[in-house]
Amino acid sequence: MKKLITGVAIVVGLILPASFSFAAPPDDTFVVGLPTDTRGLEPAQISSRHTANIMKHMFGQLYSVSASGSIDPNLAESYSISEDGKEYTFTLQEGLTCHDGEALTAEDAAYSFNRVADPELAFTGNSAGFVYKSIDFKEARADSELDVTIVLGGPNHIALGLISEIYVHCKDSYENMTKEEAATNPVGSGPYEFVKWDKGSQIVMKKTANPPIPANFENIIWRVIPEASTRTAELIAGNVDMITNASPDQVEAIDASSTAKVAKVQGTRRMYVGFHQGPEFAVTPGGAAIQKPEVRRALQYAVDVEAICANLLNAPCTRMTGIVNPNNAHPTLEPYPYDPEIAEYLLDQAGYPRDANGVRFEMTLQAGEGRYLNDKNVVLAICQYLDDIGVKTKCDILDWSSVYIPLIIEKKAGPMYFIGSGGATWSPLYDMADLSKPDSGPNYTKWQNEEWFKGWKVINNTNNEYIIRREVDRMLEVFYNEGPWLHLYFQPDFYGVSNRVDWSPRRDEKVDLFSATLK
Amino acid sequence: MFLYILRRLPQTILVIFGVTLVTFIALQIGGDPTYLFISDRASPEEIEATRIKLGFDKPLYIQYFNYVIKLLQLDFGNSLYFGQSAMTIILETLPATIELTIFSMLIAIFGSIPFGIFAAIYRGTWIDGTLMAIAMLGQSIPSFWLGIMCILYISLNVGWLPISGHVPFLMPLFQGNFIEAFKNLPTTLTYLILPGFAVAFYSVARNARLIRSSMLEVLSQDYVRTAKSKGLTNYVVIMRHAMRNAWLPVVTIIGLEFGFMISGVVVVEVIFAWPGLGRTIFDAIANRDIPLVQAAVVVISVFVIIINLITDLVYAKLDPRIKL
Amino acid sequence: MNRSESSSNHKTTNGNTSGSSSFLKLLSALIQNKWALISVVWLFFIIIVAIFASELSPLDPNKNHIMERVSPPLTLDKKGDMKYLIGSDALGRDGLSRLIYGAQVSLLVGFTAVFIGGILGTLLGILAGYYGRLIDDIIMRLADIQLAFPFILLAILFLVVLGEGLINLILVLGVGQWVTYARIARAQTISQKEKEYVEAAKALGVSNFNIMFGSILPNIFAPLIVIASFNVASVILAEAALSFLGLGVPPQIPTWGAMLAESRDHIFAKRWWLPFFPGMAILITVLAFNIVGDWLRDYLDPRLKEIE
Repeated sequence: MKKLITGVAIVVGLILPASFSFAAPPDDTFVVGLPTDTRGLEPAQISSRHTANIMKHMFGQLYSVSASGSIDPNLAESYSISEDGKEYTFTLQEGLTCHDGEALTAEDAAYSFNRVADPELAFTGNSAGFVYKSIDFKEARADSELDVTIVLGGPNHIALGLISEIYVHCKDSYENMTKEEAATNPVGSGPYEFVKWDKGSQIVMKKTANPPIPANFENIIWRVIPEASTRTAELIAGNVDMITNASPDQVEAIDASSTAKVAKVQGTRRMYVGFHQGPEFAVTPGGAAIQKPEVRRALQYAVDVEAICANLLNAPCTRMTGIVNPNNAHPTLEPYPYDPEIAEYLLDQAGYPRDANGVRFEMTLQAGEGRYLNDKNVVLAICQYLDDIGVKTKCDILDWSSVYIPLIIEKKAGPMYFIGSGGATWSPLYDMADLSKPDSGPNYTKWQNEEWFKGWKVINNTNNEYIIRREVDRMLEVFYNEGPWLHLYFQPDFYGVSNRVDWSPRRDEKVDLFSATLK
Repeated sequence: MFLYILRRLPQTILVIFGVTLVTFIALQIGGDPTYLFISDRASPEEIEATRIKLGFDKPLYIQYFNYVIKLLQLDFGNSLYFGQSAMTIILETLPATIELTIFSMLIAIFGSIPFGIFAAIYRGTWIDGTLMAIAMLGQSIPSFWLGIMCILYISLNVGWLPISGHVPFLMPLFQGNFIEAFKNLPTTLTYLILPGFAVAFYSVARNARLIRSSMLEVLSQDYVRTAKSKGLTNYVVIMRHAMRNAWLPVVTIIGLEFGFMISGVVVVEVIFAWPGLGRTIFDAIANRDIPLVQAAVVVISVFVIIINLITDLVYAKLDPRIKL
Repeated sequence: MNRSESSSNHKTTNGNTSGSSSFLKLLSALIQNKWALISVVWLFFIIIVAIFASELSPLDPNKNHIMERVSPPLTLDKKGDMKYLIGSDALGRDGLSRLIYGAQVSLLVGFTAVFIGGILGTLLGILAGYYGRLIDDIIMRLADIQLAFPFILLAILFLVVLGEGLINLILVLGVGQWVTYARIARAQTISQKEKEYVEAAKALGVSNFNIMFGSILPNIFAPLIVIASFNVASVILAEAALSFLGLGVPPQIPTWGAMLAESRDHIFAKRWWLPFFPGMAILITVLAFNIVGDWLRDYLDPRLKEIE
């Protein structure tokens, strides 16, 4: 017994002095609370927003998209486009180096681009999968010490923005690493260099001696805190400077604390319910119904999007009018209002009256869980709205990564499905690129409407901005009247920000901490 | 003793293989695991290429066969999700879980002893009543709830203890970095308190009740009552003997305790952002990361089996009446 | 003192205890133990609520009223009548209705899982104990393999693969429980095997099947019931943990565990009613099962103390 007591006394004695060491981060360090760890630190293999945000600080890009939507110089100072629009030539800054000291020249930049497409390395992810497909990447070559040229398959209005998503690094370091080594030993080119990755716990980076773009904080720590209430607790306690995805229900509590506030931004991600137009669903009664544009239009009136935003997302919103973000959207179209009476009337007219049980037709709405803000509750609310106007809806909420995503990618989710698609502020064409071809990857509805798709030919064959805008507006009208999306909202983003720092979030879900300062 | 270990060995190996087979079958039941390793917007050709590259197109028995061959060479393959060697990832997160588990087990064993003994000595009084009430409650609270409440009321509102996170001790120790390890030790202990408590509370409650009943049994025996009436010195000696016996039921369940702890550890690691094996496994299963899951399961099974073996031996040593 | 109570069971020639007198003894012992009595009453109450959920529930537990989300308890509707007695949840669904249906589902999951595990485990345990040798070895190896898997990992593994669903959840929770029953059943079978009545039955040519399930099983029932009681408690807690990890029941189905897990987001917003009611329901019910299990064990045979 005596031994036990002395033992406890020793332990307490050891602990007590340490008790006061877990306080706010030091003045030169910015701490971010993330919900998941990154999968790896390979610049050519990025599949999640969190990883992209981390990599952005360690790696430079040729040009980069700013918060306001302009595309600005980063590692490159200037660029030019060839006559036929297929070649983009960038001129790098002088005197750039990678974090291991190697000089960063055009050869390295070309290497970075070609590496992504290397069939032996077989990268998947945003760069190889989405960007390169969208710009039809052919190859990259170094024309001189500082000039690197990216060769595309054809002219492309959104190429510059997409090229900005590729991370640049040095050839010597990456040539000598295997794919496995590269995933945990990033040798970067950006303002912050990699210090360590404690798996599951944190990623630490510190500012380099000569950052290519200006940055304020000396150190950044990305802490992994999976449980949402723990993350919020850490923010309120002042141990963490910023959390992404603060839950809407915690906004008041955070704002009421003296240590942090919630910064709400109107995000650019398009949240929608897709109407699957493929033949496999057309044989079901619900699937057949939504083949008709009049039925799709009727259902637009059935959902109270504004109530969903106000109540479930704690962020009043204006309903979207189409696939494009508000600053580039169609100038005069008004969002469909919430009017269940009109919905019911239109469905009657379309030939779907209520039967003896009050049911017009049956429907299944599929969704994944846990990926988007309050997604489960939003989907349940939508199913209820449909039920209320006589469309008996089975709400199929599935596991996101193992069940839902496979269905989505194979375009088998339906007849209706809920999902979000990342958007941008710098061009309507980026937003519309989800449906750039009938067989585009993101065209999960298999919509084939001629009136829409023929517009791309017009757009791609001209550089005249007026003609492009006119065609875009025409296409958006088609989308509004007959499109395969039930329009919802642009996802609001909630960032919890400590009062200790001065930082504002961006609208496009990208996080950059370069301009953050201590108050 | 040696013979006993020898007899147990084939059985042990069989159990480990059974474990890997079950994991392998389980993860294949749900369908094609290819989908986790491509971006949201990949094309069907890429999907097919990835499927072939990762070996998911081969028939099941060939996949398992290849796996077993590698296992015998202690090669657990690369984590599909992270791309690194599965063993490396596990070894990176294992120390944190060992810290948590050992700390929790110490609490579960040593925390429950005074609990149970006091309740037995003061049987029938308000002390006994209160302690047993707490024990009953302890076995009735969901552990994640306990964890969250601790964070809110002990860490956040009062600030006595940290909310979440981890400062490594065992990892630097294993790497030979003794200075850093012992410099970190006090902080590691501070961070361990709440998670350890959350994991151990259920066990403390249960063990306390066990110790109490076992103590009561010993105390009610004639020779104890005789010693008590004869005088203090004898009584103290007998009490010590009683306490030693009270231990035994606890020892028998330590093996099971360990397995049970791991269950509690997964939940607690999530809440307290503890970067251990429990969280790695949970994420790995959600990502259908077969090599990582199998490697982790083998590692944990081996631990559990070894702990079981050890506790069986310890129990046999403590109680020579038991035949091996 | 307890020993003298239990030795009042008297055995007839086929080893069964006589029915009605032991039931009356059970009842009188129950009345004497205040806590056990309260627990049994509570459990009866909850079971009645669960059975008559559709009659007792004031509103549809799955109907959203998102404009009235997170209303506090005692919220009245426009006419001044009580609408949300214990408040509404994040989607505006009535708390009381969900609590009532939650009783139904939580108890359904609990009892069914324990039933499945119990049948499976008892079957395997009796077979192992009765036949011994190879069958015993195989079954005990299976038990070892299962024990090597910490329960939650096994549950996570199969649930992530099989997908969500009430049936999957029950199956996983049920199958995960069989080992405790098997071990006790086996140990008890082994000790019963040597008894006279078994020898006699064999001599009379009674089939093995009848011996195992006709004679031995009724005699070893008692400790199995004790385990069952503790197991229902642990299944309810396990369901709560799985809901926390996101692997519980599908979204619309109300269970106390899921309601508690969903309330996490709202702790900071001080909406105390969201975790309080399901939390108390779990606490009291689990406590009740534990108390009843304890009492049953002490009543039946104090030597069974090692059962937990």
